Amino acid sequence: MNAFGRGFDSRRLHHHPTMRFFRIVRPAAAALAAVLLFAAAPPARAQEPALRTVVIDPGHGGLESGAKGRFGNLEKDITLAVSLKLKALIEKGMDFEVVLTRDRDVDVSIENRSAIANNHKASLFISVHANGAVQKKAAGSETFFLSLNATDEETRRLAYLENNSSDLQSRIDPSTDDDLMMILWDMAQNAYIKESSRLAELVQGELDAMLGTRNRGIKQAPFKVLTGVACPAVLVETAFISNPDEEQKLASDDFQNKVAEAVYRGLARYLRKGE
Amino acid sequence: MAAKKRKKGGISRSALVLTFLILALAVLVIIFFNGQGGEKVKRGAEAVAPKARTEAKAKPVETRAVTLFFVADDDDLLHKETRTIPAGPNEADEAERALAELIRGSEEGLSSPLPARTRVRQVFIAKDGVATVDLSRDVAENFAYGSTSELAAVYAVVNTLVYNFKPVKKVVFLVEGAERETLGGHVDLTRAFFPDYSLVAR
Ligand SMILES: [Zn+2]
Repeated sequence: MNAFGRGFDSRRLHHHPTMRFFRIVRPAAAALAAVLLFAAAPPARAQEPALRTVVIDPGHGGLESGAKGRFGNLEKDITLAVSLKLKALIEKGMDFEVVLTRDRDVDVSIENRSAIANNHKASLFISVHANGAVQKKAAGSETFFLSLNATDEETRRLAYLENNSSDLQSRIDPSTDDDLMMILWDMAQNAYIKESSRLAELVQGELDAMLGTRNRGIKQAPFKVLTGVACPAVLVETAFISNPDEEQKLASDDFQNKVAEAVYRGLARYLRKGE
Repeated sequence: MAAKKRKKGGISRSALVLTFLILALAVLVIIFFNGQGGEKVKRGAEAVAPKARTEAKAKPVETRAVTLFFVADDDDLLHKETRTIPAGPNEADEAERALAELIRGSEEGLSSPLPARTRVRQVFIAKDGVATVDLSRDVAENFAYGSTSELAAVYAVVNTLVYNFKPVKKVVFLVEGAERETLGGHVDLTRAFFPDYSLVAR
C-alpha cells in the first residue's frame, strides 16, 4: 500500500479550505509536520521495493501544446514520441518497470504527474521536453534539476530533510492527514537534490556525446513538475523546437531515437555508479 | 455652501473666497493623483508612455531612470537597457511604469520576453519586501512558452523589480488577480522569486 493509494485527488486537495489555510502558514506548518512525522515513524531503512520503477513524463499534452516550431511541430508531440522510445529501451535493457505520466495526447495536471511518480514509488523521474526561446538562434541541449530558491526558513527544513531522507516514502504513514501529506510532497524533491544533480550530469554527458547539439550543460531551475517528486528527478531539454534547424531534427525519427538512447545511457551510468 | 456663507456673514468675503479656492485646489490635487494611479493600472502598457510624454511637455515632471532586462538575438542572456519614466508618487506606481515599459519593448533592438498584449494590472509592495505583480491573462494565454522563454519572462520581471526598487526583496506573481501554477507548464509560479543575475549579461 503506498502513501497516495487511497483515492488521492490533488484537485480536491488544492481547493480544500484547510489547504488554503496551509498555503498561508505553510513554512511553519510544514516544519512542524516534518518534525512530527519523522519523530513518530520508526526507522525503516532497509525496505527495498521489490520492483523498481522509472517514471517518464512526456512534457505538456492535450490543450497544452508547449513550445511551437515555425514548421508547425508541437513540443507535446515530440516529448511523447521520445518518451515512448525511451520506455521501450528501458524495458528491453533494464530490470525496471516503466510508467508514463501520459501515453497519448491528453492533459495531465502538473500535480498529477508527480503524484503518479509517488504513487508508483518511483526510483527515478525523467521529464522530457523540447525547448523554446524568444531568440530564433537559441540552440542546444540541457538537463535541469530543481533549484531551491529557498528562504532561510526553508533552508533549515531542507537541512533536516537531507539528513532524514533515506526513505522518505516509507516514513510517511498512510493514515497521515491528506493536507499534511500535500505539504510534505510539496517539498519532496528537496531531499534528493544531490542525486538529481548527479543524474542530470550523467544524462547531459550522454546527450552531448550523441546528439551533436550545443552542450548547454546542467542547470537548476524552479520547475513545478520536479518539486513534488520524491525521488531523483531531472527535466531534459532535448533541443530547441523554436530553432528551425533543431525543430526539423526533433521531428525526425532518427534524432528522437538518439535522444532516447542518450538518456538511456545516462540512466545506465547513474545506476551503475549508484550501486 | 450658500447657507453657510449667509450664516457666517461677519467673516470677510475675501477670506471665504480664499478658503474656497484652497479647498478646491486640494480636491483637484487629490483627484489628480488618484486618477493617475487608477488609469495607469487599467489602461496598461500602451497608455503609459504617450501619457508620460504629454505630461513632460505640459510641466516639468520629475523623472527617474530604471533598468529593464531584455533578451538579445545572439546569446541566451538578459541585457540591461536604461529607460526614463515619470517618478512617484510612490514606488509601486514607478514599478508599474517600469514593467509596462518592459512589456512595451526595447528601444535598442533587443526583445521583450513577455507577450506584447500583457497589461500590468497592479504592483503592490508589502512592508516585508515582497512585491506582488498582477499581470493580465495575456501573459499566460495564447503564448507558447518553452523552458528558456518562460524563465526569461519570469526573471525579466523579477530582476527589473528587485534591481530598481530598493524595498523589493522578492516577487510573487498573480495572473488576472489569481494565483497560477505556471505561465506555460514549466516555472513554479506559486513561490516567491529572488532575482537571478546569473542570467544577465555583463
Ligand atoms: Zn516544455
